Amino acid sequence: MYVHVPFCAKRCGYCSFNTAPLEDGSMVRYLEAVQREIDLLGALPWASRIRLGTIFLGGGTPSLMEAEELAAVLDRIRARFDVVADAEITVECNPESVTRAKLEGYRASGVNRLSLGVQSLDDAILPRLGRLHDARGARAAFEAARDAGCANLSIDLMYGLPGLDLDGWTRAVDRVLGWRPDHLSAYGLTLDAGSLWGAAGIDGLPAEQDQIDQYWHLARAAAAHGLEHYEISNYARPGFRSRHNQIYWHAAEYLAAGPGACGFVGRVRYSNVKATPRYCQVLADGALPVASAEELSPRQRLAERLLLGLRTADGVPTTWLETRLDGDRGLRQRIEAWRAEALLVDVADRVRLTEAGFLLSDALFVELL
Amino acid sequence: MAPSLIRNFSIVAHIDHGKSTLADRLLSLTGTMDAKKAVDQVLDSMDLERERGITIKAHTVRLLYRARDGQEYTLNLIDTPGHVDFSYEVSRALAACEGAVLIVDAAQGIEAQTLANFYLASDANLAIIPVINKIDLPAADVEGTRAQITETLELDGSEALAISAKHGTGVPEVLEAIVARIPPPKGDLDAPLKALVFDSFYDSYQGVVVYVRLTDGRVRPGTRVLLMSNGRSYDVQQVGVFSPDMRPVEELSAGQVGYLTASIKRVADAKVGETITETARPTAVAFPGYRDAKPMVFAGLYSIEDTDYEALRDALEKLRLNDPAFTYEPETSLALGYGFRCGFLGMLHMEIVQERLEREFDLSLIVTAPSVQFKILTTAGEVLDIDNPSKLPTPDRIEQMDEPYVKSSILVPTEFMTAIYKLAQEKRGEHRSLEYHGKRVHIRFDFPLSEIVVDFYDRLKSISKGYASFDYELSEFRPSDLVKLDILLNGDPVDALSSIVHRDKAYERGKALVEKLRAVIPRQLFEVAIQAAIGSRVIARETVKAMGKNVTAKCYGGDITRKRKLLEKQKEGKKRMKQVGKVEVPQEAFLAVLKT
Ligand SMILES: Nc1nc2c(ncn2[C@@H]2O[C@H](COP(=O)(O)OP(=O)(O)OP(=O)(O)O)[C@@H](O)[C@H]2O)c(=O)[nH]1
Ligand code: SF4
Ligand SMILES: [Mg+2]
Repeated sequence: MYVHVPFCAKRCGYCSFNTAPLEDGSMVRYLEAVQREIDLLGALPWASRIRLGTIFLGGGTPSLMEAEELAAVLDRIRARFDVVADAEITVECNPESVTRAKLEGYRASGVNRLSLGVQSLDDAILPRLGRLHDARGARAAFEAARDAGCANLSIDLMYGLPGLDLDGWTRAVDRVLGWRPDHLSAYGLTLDAGSLWGAAGIDGLPAEQDQIDQYWHLARAAAAHGLEHYEISNYARPGFRSRHNQIYWHAAEYLAAGPGACGFVGRVRYSNVKATPRYCQVLADGALPVASAEELSPRQRLAERLLLGLRTADGVPTTWLETRLDGDRGLRQRIEAWRAEALLVDVADRVRLTEAGFLLSDALFVELL
Repeated sequence: MAPSLIRNFSIVAHIDHGKSTLADRLLSLTGTMDAKKAVDQVLDSMDLERERGITIKAHTVRLLYRARDGQEYTLNLIDTPGHVDFSYEVSRALAACEGAVLIVDAAQGIEAQTLANFYLASDANLAIIPVINKIDLPAADVEGTRAQITETLELDGSEALAISAKHGTGVPEVLEAIVARIPPPKGDLDAPLKALVFDSFYDSYQGVVVYVRLTDGRVRPGTRVLLMSNGRSYDVQQVGVFSPDMRPVEELSAGQVGYLTASIKRVADAKVGETITETARPTAVAFPGYRDAKPMVFAGLYSIEDTDYEALRDALEKLRLNDPAFTYEPETSLALGYGFRCGFLGMLHMEIVQERLEREFDLSLIVTAPSVQFKILTTAGEVLDIDNPSKLPTPDRIEQMDEPYVKSSILVPTEFMTAIYKLAQEKRGEHRSLEYHGKRVHIRFDFPLSEIVVDFYDRLKSISKGYASFDYELSEFRPSDLVKLDILLNGDPVDALSSIVHRDKAYERGKALVEKLRAVIPRQLFEVAIQAAIGSRVIARETVKAMGKNVTAKCYGGDITRKRKLLEKQKEGKKRMKQVGKVEVPQEAFLAVLKT
């Protein structure tokens, strides 16, 4: 289950997530609503058959929640659903909003994985991004998490940032890897339409080739530190892949709660009402806050499985690809070009993108739709 | 019906001067169309005509009008297209009439097709009623337009009716003038049937519906008729009029305009210009007939999906049933596979055919660079008609190359003369004559057809702030120094991108073309080299760098649907790509050849 926490202290320039500044009383109203939503979901006829293997609190900035608030949400989920004993329970944290005490509280409520939004270790760049922490704060947060007993700790970084050159990136990567995180997510910056930068534009973006160089540096450095590149933007120590995110990439089912959260049940992808006040209102009126739903056709399902599965280093069973190529000579020919350029490789009965292939993956996905 | 109560007329004008709008007005004034139900440009019955706001085909309709003299007249109106590509429709329409309403836009004044249509009507000895339209526009200059009519057309400008077709002002006078100034048809009701076919279309239930203008005699269901040019006889099944939909009547007689059906299978069996008479009692002299409308530009049509070849062939066959001006024959291209070489009257016609094929038959098409038809004399003494650059023999086999020329007519305010001459020079125009009409000049040039088919008209409009107008007709072939310009992608020539150009322009064009192609060919998994070459000599080169990065960084639970939709959109764009060897080439690349 994914739970969306729609608050941040301040919006970052590149961010287009469903989030808003935390105001007086809004957390309380939200918590009430989200617990109600969990109740309503739990009361659905098929809910009793569900076993939750992972819970992910994302945002926004879930670490704005006090430990007791978080515990209440998790308790409610456990009360309404069968949560497996060794469930992976992740919380996204921003460095400035965590302390060792808070994280110990999180742990006590069952959280066993933390994802820390570091993004950069350059004190000139961090404020430009709109981040509220500096490099020291990031390091301190990491230490606090370890001290609090977090044995599964992930770090988020970004490259392709305005003002970031290869040297700066190399330093950041090397430092972060030196901390020995269990998991690393590294995102090339994209200017999303819904972000401040997407709307107003931003200067100083590195050239395409620099972004590519940054990608490759990370890929090599991560490998040298024993992290496997298991998804386009994700690296993990063996055994520390994000179980929750792999559900997405396997095109498996997941429930969602919180404003704007998206779920996938049966053949239906649905999303919740986005605006938090409205979301709370709908729940206060006793209804599930579903805003839209789409049933996938078999063709769309296959396309999604390919698109999502090929994001990962495991790729997809070759038979899935074959099903898609069946009867389409032109497409088959074009896919062959991916193999010829060593972007796509066959490993036993699976097919997957190489690290070079990851970089161009959207061009392949367009074909596979 | 007494011929004295019939008037047959066409509405002719330069493009957009308001022919179809006036026709609407006449329809509603005479109660032929319920004014409340009326959509704009009723006679523009094809979706495409309505959307583009232009008339493509001539349309016929019968109006019943009670005139101020108390008599009820039958008025047969033919609305005609204004665009030069379809000017052949005008001459056909005029052949079925005794008069023409010649519209002049009060804000634009006389333009090139006003002149051309005026000459067509006066050569056909028709009574011409000049009408000044759009007098409601702030820029309308009614008196100036009257003066132009007097000066340029040698009609009496003071007799021109000033109207607003849009608002209806002055339109009743147009009806009165039609009755008063256009002579009734002559003709002998008791003589043998003699009817002119001036249009036709194919209907899947009734076979060919033939538009006829009767000059003598009568025809009714059951009459056995003879088509004089091919000697075939048919039993008439239905005769009728357009009011504005087809409405059967008992009989059509001398002077009338209407339609007949007779289980005719193909449009080609009842060609426009054909004479229809009685099998038992044929008329002595047939109408002289028309020259077929000849295609001027040729292009290859290929479906993007190889599997659609059959579907494309069927679609072309169906379309041709109703559009005999368009021709097609199978061809193969190394780059594009199996397709068809098609002939069109001009670029608008080509666009329309393409759009109809895509829309009505759900096909996705690539159109190769259009070419005119060249005449090649080989060293072996053969004369070849070449409308496909890839069919051009190698230079050592060519004795002489001729290219088609047109006589053209440009009407423009004097202040733009210099710009026009400059453009004409660039387009290899040869000046013929210059006449002053008040503040405007009428310039005649001869141009190679290949120089004017594509963007000439747009260029002309833009250098003259929209004031210049242009008309042309094919004249003759002249010897010319031409070369074949090839385009190579990663070293392989792409036949569908070749063109035949004048030697003096080859270098410049090759350079412009590869630049354009670099801009439209998207980056691929590998680098793409684009070269322009004459024979084995490369004259220009550009490269499209290999794709560097095309990736979505984040794709989690909330991103999946959005991501899929985004990719689906991109995929729509990609549908217009054709695989040429290993390279994916978008449709625009083929258009680039034409627009460069
Ligand atoms: N203001 C004004 N606009 C008019 C008048 N008559 C026609 N128009 C407009 O002029 C444009 C062209 O009118 P049409 O009737 O389609 O012209 P057309 O001569 O049939 O055009 P083609 O068939 O394409 O040659 C349309 O936008 C009409 O609304 C008029 O009296 N006054
Ligand atoms: S990037 Fe994260 S912290 Fe910044 S505004 Fe977006 S959700 Fe909040
Ligand atoms: Mg019209």
